[in-house]
Amino acid sequence: MKSIRMRVNGQPVEREVPDHRLLVDFIRYDLGLTGAKEGCSVGVCGACTVLLNGQPVSSCLALAVMADGGEVTTIEGLAEGERLHPLQQAFIDYGGFQCGICTPGQIMASKALLDANPHPSAEQIKEWMMGNLCRCTGYYKIIEAIQAAAAGKTGP
Amino acid sequence: MEKASMESPHSIGQPAGHVEGPAKVTGRARYSADIALPGMLWGQALRSPFPHARIVSIDVTAARGVPGVHAVISAADLPDVRIGRFLRDIPVLARDRVRFIGEKVVAVAAETPDAAEEALGLVEVEYEELPAVFDPIAAMSPDAPRIHEHPEKYEHPPIPPIGGESRYHPFANVCSQNIYRRGDLERGMAAAERTFEHSFVVPPVHQGYIEPHACAAVIAPDGKIDIWISNKTPFIARRQLAAAFGVPEERVRVNPTAIGGDFGGKGSLMDAALCYFIARASRRPVKMVMNYTEELTAGNPRHAALITLRTGVTRDGAITGHRAKLIFNCGAYGAFIPLHFLHGGVHAATGPYRVPNLEIEALRVYTNTVPRGHFRSPGAPQTTFAIESHMDMIAHGLGIDPLEFRLRNVLVDGDESPMGERFRHIRCRETLSAAADTAAWSSPKPPNVGRGIGIYERAPGAFGTSGATLTLDRDSKLTLLTGAADTGTGSFTVLAQVVAEELQAPLGDVIVCQGDTDTAEWEEGAGGSRLTHMAGRATLTAAGEVKRELIALAARHFNCAAEQVEMRARRFIASDGRELDWDALLAWAAEHEALPLTRSGSFVASGHPEVTCYAAQVAEVEVDRETGQVRVRRIVTAHDVGTIINPLTHQGQIEGGMVQGLGQAMSEHLLVRDGSVTTAHLGDYKLPTAMDIPELTTVLVESLTGPGPFAGKAIGELSNVSPPAAIANAVFDAVGVRLTELPITAEKVYRELRAMERGK
Amino acid sequence: MNPFTYTEPATIEEALAALTRYGDEAKLIAGGTGLVNLMKQRLVNPGYLVSLRRLSALANVSIDRDRGLRIGALCTHHALETSPIVRQHAPLLAEAARRVATIRIRTMATLGGAVAHADPNQDLPPALIALDARVKLRGPKGEREVAIDQFFTGYYETLTQPDEIVTEIAIPPSPSTNGSAYLKFLPQTADDYATVSVAARVSLNQGAISDVRVALGAAASTPLRAKAVEDALRGRVPTRTTLDEAAALVAGIVDPLADFRGSAEYKRDMAIVFVRRALTDAIAGAGGAVA
Repeated sequence: MKSIRMRVNGQPVEREVPDHRLLVDFIRYDLGLTGAKEGCSVGVCGACTVLLNGQPVSSCLALAVMADGGEVTTIEGLAEGERLHPLQQAFIDYGGFQCGICTPGQIMASKALLDANPHPSAEQIKEWMMGNLCRCTGYYKIIEAIQAAAAGKTGP
Repeated sequence: MEKASMESPHSIGQPAGHVEGPAKVTGRARYSADIALPGMLWGQALRSPFPHARIVSIDVTAARGVPGVHAVISAADLPDVRIGRFLRDIPVLARDRVRFIGEKVVAVAAETPDAAEEALGLVEVEYEELPAVFDPIAAMSPDAPRIHEHPEKYEHPPIPPIGGESRYHPFANVCSQNIYRRGDLERGMAAAERTFEHSFVVPPVHQGYIEPHACAAVIAPDGKIDIWISNKTPFIARRQLAAAFGVPEERVRVNPTAIGGDFGGKGSLMDAALCYFIARASRRPVKMVMNYTEELTAGNPRHAALITLRTGVTRDGAITGHRAKLIFNCGAYGAFIPLHFLHGGVHAATGPYRVPNLEIEALRVYTNTVPRGHFRSPGAPQTTFAIESHMDMIAHGLGIDPLEFRLRNVLVDGDESPMGERFRHIRCRETLSAAADTAAWSSPKPPNVGRGIGIYERAPGAFGTSGATLTLDRDSKLTLLTGAADTGTGSFTVLAQVVAEELQAPLGDVIVCQGDTDTAEWEEGAGGSRLTHMAGRATLTAAGEVKRELIALAARHFNCAAEQVEMRARRFIASDGRELDWDALLAWAAEHEALPLTRSGSFVASGHPEVTCYAAQVAEVEVDRETGQVRVRRIVTAHDVGTIINPLTHQGQIEGGMVQGLGQAMSEHLLVRDGSVTTAHLGDYKLPTAMDIPELTTVLVESLTGPGPFAGKAIGELSNVSPPAAIANAVFDAVGVRLTELPITAEKVYRELRAMERGK
Repeated sequence: MNPFTYTEPATIEEALAALTRYGDEAKLIAGGTGLVNLMKQRLVNPGYLVSLRRLSALANVSIDRDRGLRIGALCTHHALETSPIVRQHAPLLAEAARRVATIRIRTMATLGGAVAHADPNQDLPPALIALDARVKLRGPKGEREVAIDQFFTGYYETLTQPDEIVTEIAIPPSPSTNGSAYLKFLPQTADDYATVSVAARVSLNQGAISDVRVALGAAASTPLRAKAVEDALRGRVPTRTTLDEAAALVAGIVDPLADFRGSAEYKRDMAIVFVRRALTDAIAGAGGAVA
């Protein structure tokens, strides 16, 4: 067991966890933040994407203890009260999701992209987002939503 | 089915974002794996390592002793019951025998996943291996090991009269056989000037939904059973679960959860029945979540198919006769499809062409492999790959352009379809021409670039019963209670738009609430492209009833007959010119205790729709001759559509479907070796990524009408079907390589190119 | 995953002491993307994980005009692909890093981890071989350096001793007139491992190839250096024929493992194609042309 402390969505968190607790399980079950999903369990699909110290990571491949002392941002930390983040609004307006299971991961990955590169080209968006699988949309509207959010556009 | 009669549509045709959008983009939407119940335990299953074996003994004593374990059960602890969507041949836990690698044998409920795994590791099962058979051709031989010893004992509902002569378990390991005949095949083939026969191999693929199956069960002290399940037909699930539990349906409540992708794969109960039994044994709520390896190896993926087509044609390319033999590998159990056969596969086996004389024989064959289920337009991607490749091969054999060949043979108004349907307003030629024109079919191509066509027909689903209940509150909110699950297609949004349109309300005033199976009216659920059509019509009826009641209330207020009042632009206008606006009527109605106002509507299928939908696709590819790599440069997808209720969700279905078809065409192959699925995680089973998508151009061809509300059609199962054929045809056009086995891999193209160079 | 004890030493000495104390029960973990996956499948079950996370001194990149590039083992792939120093002085390494997996792997997985893990399908090793990289290791008896093309000894096996830590990769300076290319053949999907990959680096002198390195990934049970190809090209003027003949020699060097990405024969044939293509690109990058 280890005692770990971190900030999650800006709030201080302190917990005791078994050494082998995965970050995705810590977030979903220890903290009750079920926005991040476990899809493939092998770090391929991206449904478990959260930001660790601002960087997108596969929380299904990270140990909770590795987040000790760090900052974790999950989908629950994006909106400000009822005010959605521009990416969240764009995903709604442009049809960037259907079933929604990959959506928290898509949005966290795209937030990391726009943080690093506020005006990415379509090619750059595809390269960055290539690790977040979606089976419903075919990706076209995910790319449009990210472009719209980057351009500050609202509504198709 | 009437023409659209909207004054000036204000909600229909709007690209409204999903009504459940805020929940999904904030992570608040609750999927089955997110369910947390007080005292909940984790359920897990021990699975068979053998494809076919007798279970000699099971010893769970050591497993039961693991700290944190509350129950360990096997078939001995369960009633001897089989479950299934139609044919009930699969046990909840293997009893006496295992029939595929991955079949569930023992289940445990424990306080942590680690304890559950530790317990399963201590279960001792003694197996006696039996000879296994993996290939459907081998399985059909009289000498093949018999997978089901007494299949005649399996129960199923009465077989509906579709698909020709149908039989369950006719011989050897055949689960079902259908023979459909029309005209006189022998005479038709005799009249042919040329005959072509080709065979095709389609391997299994997985639905690839990012959410693995999950479920939870809790039994209340009064015996009420609450279930949460990632399942798109909650009412049917309730019925099947109640039968499996041996309790009346009212004892079981299926609760709504968001579903993380279905595509046909989430109509089976999967672990839900077992989850109940471990909840009962442990006297605690239990949640079971499949991991993705379990999904790939023991879910319910698409049927593999071996297809042989034989067609007779005149010199000018008119079809005189056609025979199709479809051998579907259904895996160890037939339980995971909701009919006796792959209806869509048989239906699509001839293509949307004039075929006067035909015979289609379809077999579902048991093998000791993972049981197969439904996947978006079930059966049709397999048979469409075959027929659309076959049509191209015939066209080339006759020296006729593949587009021209199709235009000569596709159905037009007045024709009877090969299945004996007489559709009205057939738009196949128009859709095909639209795709070809947009793709610049005849324009010059650079070297190694080719174009290919694939077409497909599918009618909106018209089966089952849909119900809807609409309540208008004092505060003007309209709450639609539906028993339908939204698998992501945007069906809740479409239903909300139907209500908004009928009652001339802002979309934001409509709240869609998915009820549980106690509170909602019976709803057949999602599947077969029926939801917009049927749930939409039920919703329209309910909304119409609310509207009628409001008009009646206005008439009471005006003190005149209801016939003298109309509702226009949210105002109630009497024939003598008096008017009442919406808010005023609601205030009056509230004073007179007439609100909240609730009305229901239902819609029952009554025969086939009179119109159908066509999809025509042109793929343009470039082949790298040195490596065989095929790059899909562009896909043009043309669809004939009626009124589109929501262009955003409509287009989303087209795009997502096409990319699924692309995956089946290019990279997806669920590899089964000696009964074992070796592509056991998404690092090995390759779904398309954002970098793999081609340029996509959508062409919408207007139709007069459709059977859905406001004259809508269907779109969900159309764009995923013909990409494999269109791409295979394009590869042939590009470099002369004809692949008759999916997926179209670089290595296969490379091998054919080198063989051609050697003058094979 | 089987339970284990996780330790986070504050210094290299503490980390080395932990390795010695726990012996073969211990495994080092940096980013963990490879190791945690193996542990979740129970293919690897260490009783102790010795984390290098706090050893920030191992995450630096520095350039020395005489001695070249020195990259700490804890640099992530994403740090490599974005580092202006790496992009300028070892663009081949930055490019190979950019092609690894997905962004989420690249933010966690480290250079040292990739080298020590020795998955033959990885992208960094062929690039490091083509750059004449040297691996620095530290153990209880001190430091040593190994040339990268000696480092990989077998399938997931390296010269690293159980009580050693890879601390740094050194890349000798190379002429700015070098051209280089990293080609990753992905016939299925973009997020896959390579069917075959080639790293090539070329120096030209008056139109002739004065020096050349060719290395392959996913072509055998270890990353490979194609010396025979190099020898066939050194001193020659690049023409289509010389490249074809040289590339064909790689067929005798590779020993591909058949997997979901291709049969052994196909991978062998593709090795030839992509060696030629990588050389062509590298020559163009060096300002030359193939006659």
